[in-house]
Amino acid sequence: MRYGSRGLKTGDLQTNSQYVVGCEHWRDMVLSVEEGVLIPRPETELIVDLVGDLVEGNGELREGLWADMGTGSGALAIGIARILGPCGRVIATDLSPVAVAVASYNVQRYNLQDKIEIKLGSWFEPLKNVEGQFVGLVSNPPYIPSHHIIGLQAEVAKHEPRLALDGGANGMNDLLHLCHGAASMLKPGGFFAFETNGEKQCKFLVDHMQKESKSSFSGVDIVSDFAGNKRFVTGFRAKSHNPTNPNEWTVKIN
Amino acid sequence: MDNAELQPQLSSDLITIMEKRQPEALLVEYSRANKELRNLKGSMDLIKELRTKQKDIEGLKALMTECPEDKEMLNMATEELSQAVEEERRLQNQLLQSLLPKDDADERGCILEVRAVTVSFIFLNCVPGTGGEEASLFAMDIFKMYERYSLKTGWKFDVVEITESDLKGYKRNPSDHISLLLQVDVQLRHEDLRIDTYRSGGSGGQHVNTTNSAVRITHIPSGITVSIQDERSQHMNKAKALKVLCARLYEIERSRIHTSRSKLRSEQIGSGDRSERIRTYNFPQGRVTDHRVGITHHSINDVMQGENLDIFIDALLLQQEMDAVASFNSEQ
Repeated sequence: MRYGSRGLKTGDLQTNSQYVVGCEHWRDMVLSVEEGVLIPRPETELIVDLVGDLVEGNGELREGLWADMGTGSGALAIGIARILGPCGRVIATDLSPVAVAVASYNVQRYNLQDKIEIKLGSWFEPLKNVEGQFVGLVSNPPYIPSHHIIGLQAEVAKHEPRLALDGGANGMNDLLHLCHGAASMLKPGGFFAFETNGEKQCKFLVDHMQKESKSSFSGVDIVSDFAGNKRFVTGFRAKSHNPTNPNEWTVKIN
Repeated sequence: MDNAELQPQLSSDLITIMEKRQPEALLVEYSRANKELRNLKGSMDLIKELRTKQKDIEGLKALMTECPEDKEMLNMATEELSQAVEEERRLQNQLLQSLLPKDDADERGCILEVRAVTVSFIFLNCVPGTGGEEASLFAMDIFKMYERYSLKTGWKFDVVEITESDLKGYKRNPSDHISLLLQVDVQLRHEDLRIDTYRSGGSGGQHVNTTNSAVRITHIPSGITVSIQDERSQHMNKAKALKVLCARLYEIERSRIHTSRSKLRSEQIGSGDRSERIRTYNFPQGRVTDHRVGITHHSINDVMQGENLDIFIDALLLQQEMDAVASFNSEQ
């Protein structure tokens, strides 16, 4: 196994057990992980449930194109690809070459290489050529405020990649970038779900989306995880006519 | 006899529902009616067959009275008649069986729960003074017996949970308890469930890396909670907790409705009542007795290997059928 077990470094007792054994159980899958890739969290599993509930009654979403930005181990991309219909596809992106390699390996292990395309690059950049064609966007971007990194659980702060954790001064640099770009990436009626640090970020983002780009989104909502933390911001690209892009009148929804 | 002739005998409700076909409001009703019709179809087919057979019999009898001289013809007709009468009786029996009240649970899977919270008769009699450990070992033997039996019968099964917490505890309730939890498609409503983890309070998410993925589901209307932590991910723990919750809810609902109807079935499931004797496993004398049907089998080892359980099961089924026929007759 390419990303199989790694030896425990001497004197390094506070490392993550998942890096030692080289894998993590996530949903009904076993994903290969290694240092340099964020270990997928149980909270993030819920995004797949949200998508699952949605695609069950919506053929267009089930058979459309999805993106998982900042895919890391590929968890969300693989979880979603497994619940999409035969025509459903996922593009997964990551800025880290290690993540791209690990995600590709996991995609092959689940034999999903025809359904998931992995691209190296930052957020929307590798998706430019398919702008406006997505029926869904998901992401678990870095959202920890920079000055909190040092106070994280030791295993996390010391061994997990800072690139996957540090969301800038208030933790929302990447989340805001994702929210701004979502409107132009999504088809009208398309869905987005982003993981956040908690209530504060969720509320800020919802306020922001309602103020800044009121007409672009509909049904913006906050979803809690099982520990009771407000964890996800979800919503849809508004179906109404967008004057900046008159071509979208031709896109038929439902 | 065709379906059109049968229709007036169906409940008028059913017919109204089937005729309306209003897709939105009546969808649930419609599918229920459809299910009922499907359940009735077997009986309807049998009635049809029975009527045909009865016509044949009449025809044969008429033939015999018409030409009493033709010996060869008469012989053939008599032969055919006795066959037809035999068939008629078989069909009547089959029809009677098909009309007996059916237990919905018959065709469903189940969760077998073997609890060692108790000390069995045998241990009390033969190993006086011993405690919960033997009870646990015995429960494990019983569990293995059903496991082997399931394998032999070709049933598909998963072991949901083996708890060893009772190994040390000594409980004095003097009857071993085996109960069946039925595994079914209970419709759970999202808003009736509260799902939480034991990690409430912390920031969670990217802050921590934990291997604890325990999930607790509370069914708010009934107050039942199910906690599962032995699976490797939150998703799997949740899936298993939902499965167990559904089984418990279904069992509650079912026993509420069916207690009066299926006497024997509730005996099989067992109430956990300490005075209830279901089966005695007497190891020193090498015999197993099922008190519900009064049958004793003298090779306990075969039974424990899951070999001869069918002796008891067939007898129980027969008794259940006879009970059902008896109550059916008395109701008419």
